[in-house]
Amino acid sequence: MFRQPRPPDPDQDLVTRAQAGDTRAFDALILKYGDKLYGLVYNMTSHKEDTHDLLQEIFARAYQSLGKFKGNSAFYTWIYQIAVNLTLNFLKKRKRRISLSINDMESSVQQDPALIDNANEANPERQTNLNELQIRLNEAMRKLSDPHRMVVTMFDIQGMSHGDIAKVLKASEGTIRSRLHYAHLQLQSALQDSWDERF
Amino acid sequence: MKPTVEQIGNLLALKRHERPEEGYWQDFLCEFHQKQREQAAKKSGLTNFFSQAGEWLSEMSPSKWAYGAGLAYAAVMVAFFLVPREPAKPTTPVTPVNLQVIPAPAPPALEQLNQLDLSPSTQGNIGEQVF
Repeated sequence: MFRQPRPPDPDQDLVTRAQAGDTRAFDALILKYGDKLYGLVYNMTSHKEDTHDLLQEIFARAYQSLGKFKGNSAFYTWIYQIAVNLTLNFLKKRKRRISLSINDMESSVQQDPALIDNANEANPERQTNLNELQIRLNEAMRKLSDPHRMVVTMFDIQGMSHGDIAKVLKASEGTIRSRLHYAHLQLQSALQDSWDERF
Repeated sequence: MKPTVEQIGNLLALKRHERPEEGYWQDFLCEFHQKQREQAAKKSGLTNFFSQAGEWLSEMSPSKWAYGAGLAYAAVMVAFFLVPREPAKPTTPVTPVNLQVIPAPAPPALEQLNQLDLSPSTQGNIGEQVF
């Protein structure tokens, strides 16, 4: 069978200019993917300073390796692969180094504006319930293994397709679906008690 | 009752809009460029050579060491056989050495005697031999 031709990379122009030494083109790529990568790394590390340091490292690595980028995949996939690899390596090292205080992470999550649902602002009780549920959810997420948490972050939080996740993680779509299924079961069990109490 | 997968998905989707605070990316870019400049300055010196050599050596696996050693050996052997040696110098004709030893003429015996100082050092006394 014939393979479907890959659609052109929307970042081709910026990448070519950045490869030619145009730093402003690379800045544009940072601004384009910065928020998405921030979400990915922050949901994996639950730590703002670590997220910042990792993002600096991710973009520095991408900048230095830009010459090696041949366009075999989309730039978006390529930079996500760098981000995933560096983040998983970082998490391995951090596990060995320290055990991050759960309380520290909870406080950062509680202060996070993303957890405040604007639709429930008028209903403080429901908002409180939702916040507590989010805290339980974050705890349950942290209990997942790093590869499972990565898949949940990409699929449920970032809204990526199974196919895109498979490309980034260099795994089959079946593997991604299986990881997601297992992770969802884990999250369902972890949230069961809190869900019964509140809903 | 367990939450459904959709409900969990909806809960997780609330985190989709997590963004850094306002002005974050401007500061981020400043720091990024500063670091790149520092790195470029560091790389321009001799340190670049040493760090790269160190990195290269540290990243080398035993098999690569073996390949490297093999390549070095092959290079030495190729150089040994291919590099032209100095042309042989023309040999000068050899003159045969005369092995016959000619003794120096011996001085006559009388001359030899005259050269010797045989005069008595003291006056002759009894029992002493006087020449």
